[in-house]
Amino acid sequence: MNATKQLMIEAKGVQKWYPNGFHALRGVDLEVHRGEKVVIMGPSGSGKSTFLRTFNALEDYQEGTVVVDGMELNNDLRNIDAVRKEVGMVFQQFNLFPHLSVLANLLLAPIWVRKRNRAEVEQQALALLERVGIAEQAHKFPGQLSGGQQQRVAIARALCMEPRLMLFDEPTSSLDPEKVREVLDVMRQLAIDGMTMVVVTHEVGFAREVADRVVLMDEGRVVEIAPPQQFFNHPEHERTKRFLAQIL
Amino acid sequence: MKRLPLTLRRQLFATPTDGIITVGLLTLLSWAGWGVLNWAINSAQWLVVRANAAALTIGRYPEAQEWRLWLLLGMLTSLAGLSWGRLRGASGWPLNDRIAAGLLVALAVGVPPLLAFGAINQMRLLFLLLLLLLGRLAFSHRFSQASSKRFGDWWALIWGVAYLFGLWLIAGGLGLPGVRPSDWGGLLFTLLITSLTLLLALPLGVILALGRRSSLPLFRYISVGIIELIRGAPLITLLFLGQNLVGFLAPNGLAPDRVWRATGVLTVFAAAYLAEAIRGGLNAIPRAQFEAARSLGLSSVHTMALVVLPQALKVALPAMGGQCISLLQDTTLLSIIGLFDLLGIARSVLANPDWLGRYAEVYLLLAVLYWCSCAALSLGSRALEKRLASPGLQSNPKPQ
Repeated sequence: MNATKQLMIEAKGVQKWYPNGFHALRGVDLEVHRGEKVVIMGPSGSGKSTFLRTFNALEDYQEGTVVVDGMELNNDLRNIDAVRKEVGMVFQQFNLFPHLSVLANLLLAPIWVRKRNRAEVEQQALALLERVGIAEQAHKFPGQLSGGQQQRVAIARALCMEPRLMLFDEPTSSLDPEKVREVLDVMRQLAIDGMTMVVVTHEVGFAREVADRVVLMDEGRVVEIAPPQQFFNHPEHERTKRFLAQIL
Repeated sequence: MKRLPLTLRRQLFATPTDGIITVGLLTLLSWAGWGVLNWAINSAQWLVVRANAAALTIGRYPEAQEWRLWLLLGMLTSLAGLSWGRLRGASGWPLNDRIAAGLLVALAVGVPPLLAFGAINQMRLLFLLLLLLLGRLAFSHRFSQASSKRFGDWWALIWGVAYLFGLWLIAGGLGLPGVRPSDWGGLLFTLLITSLTLLLALPLGVILALGRRSSLPLFRYISVGIIELIRGAPLITLLFLGQNLVGFLAPNGLAPDRVWRATGVLTVFAAAYLAEAIRGGLNAIPRAQFEAARSLGLSSVHTMALVVLPQALKVALPAMGGQCISLLQDTTLLSIIGLFDLLGIARSVLANPDWLGRYAEVYLLLAVLYWCSCAALSLGSRALEKRLASPGLQSNPKPQ
């Protein structure tokens, strides 16, 4: 396999201005290989979520290139739709569809986007719910579940599309502390299974244990990229040291 | 029951001032109530209603074709009874259902003789009551509950087919002698035009609401234009405009019947207001729902149809229910442009010298009929709200 095929995400010199003029991304580069787990950290307002959201075109950008799974995300809508099929996303606020049962949340996209057979998807969905530990809630509605359960459903919903890349945007930030673990356990298992993952999070323990590389972003730029051992124990940059001093 | 006097005392006679207000209001109420009752029993002359019962209910519908309306009524009551059973039959006969059934029996047995209906019509009404209750009973057994679930998805379709069949029965054609829309009248006309307008206005309202938020400029401008133009003019002006303008636009003889012109105007009018209610619902759906749907790869059309609209319509339901009731009341304006809706027929009855001065009797009856229709709509929309609010009923939860 050549180098470009092994790259899942290739972002080069990405710049983004919000309509109000705020310069959110100031030339960001990042490469993520297949099977790699990358954790992005940084203070709030550093642009880490914005950057993550460019990987499935929830945010546009003005300069630079983002290539995901060999497809460049520009204004070509066909590419955007094609990429979104292959990229799963988990949000801070879960964003389940409240009017659909848990099972229906999982079935929606495979049936309507992949045009798959309902009975077949249903089997897969139930297996996924089993895997994230909430098979018995399949016929409940999102509003009847706890935050941790909802987030696990959201992960299962993304997985039901059989994505090649999973994006996590602060998946545990709005959970009660005692529910964080159950979500991180699911993510750990996913990592062990070989999924390519990009995770924006403040969970240092998770980053140390799971990440291949940790990225620090600040003020719209990448400050440091290093393997967790080095990132947390011997950071190179002054900014990283200050950040770690605040969160550790 | 022991605590009733205590509650009464606390709520109505908590302080001397409260007591005075309570006694004052009760006196006023009973004086007014007694006045109306006394008038209705002793001085009102109800002959005007008895003699014109047919006109008020079906207008100038040909007498020889009346059987079609009875057939339609029979079909509707059977369906209503079956639906009633399907919705509430699982729990047997709860108190509310027993009260409703009792009221219906009292009405069907008590009112027709009071209005001096012919013996044959009295029998027909009793038969309708029987159909309704039989339908209700049919679903009260556990045995039929199972089959009711299986046919659950077909229910909307059955009602839709019944509606179209009803239109055919009323209008004729395809084997039945035709009855022109201008010969429909009275309560039949009011209910028919309201339901028809609603059925057409709902999809149009959704389209206008979506158009208003569309990213396609032309679609957006047209939608905003229609909504704002319609909302900026009184309905009565639009109705007059519709009656006259279409006549100029369409070639001679090809202009649609006046009833259809009025239906068109009412439909666009209702759609504009429904669109604003639906827009409110759309605005209430957080951006995150769009993002979640799009990130799963759903197209913008699928996102709208499967994720956003179902939630938005639920939010907009109370406002939409209000619009439906307004629409029913707005149909009274049709009497001003010379159509014989319930109010129009009543005015033509009152214009007859035989019934000179019988205003109070006729208008009281109208008020009651309109009130009943609006109350039914209001009850229906509230029941629907309640049903959608309990998440367990949004789909059929299967036991594990």
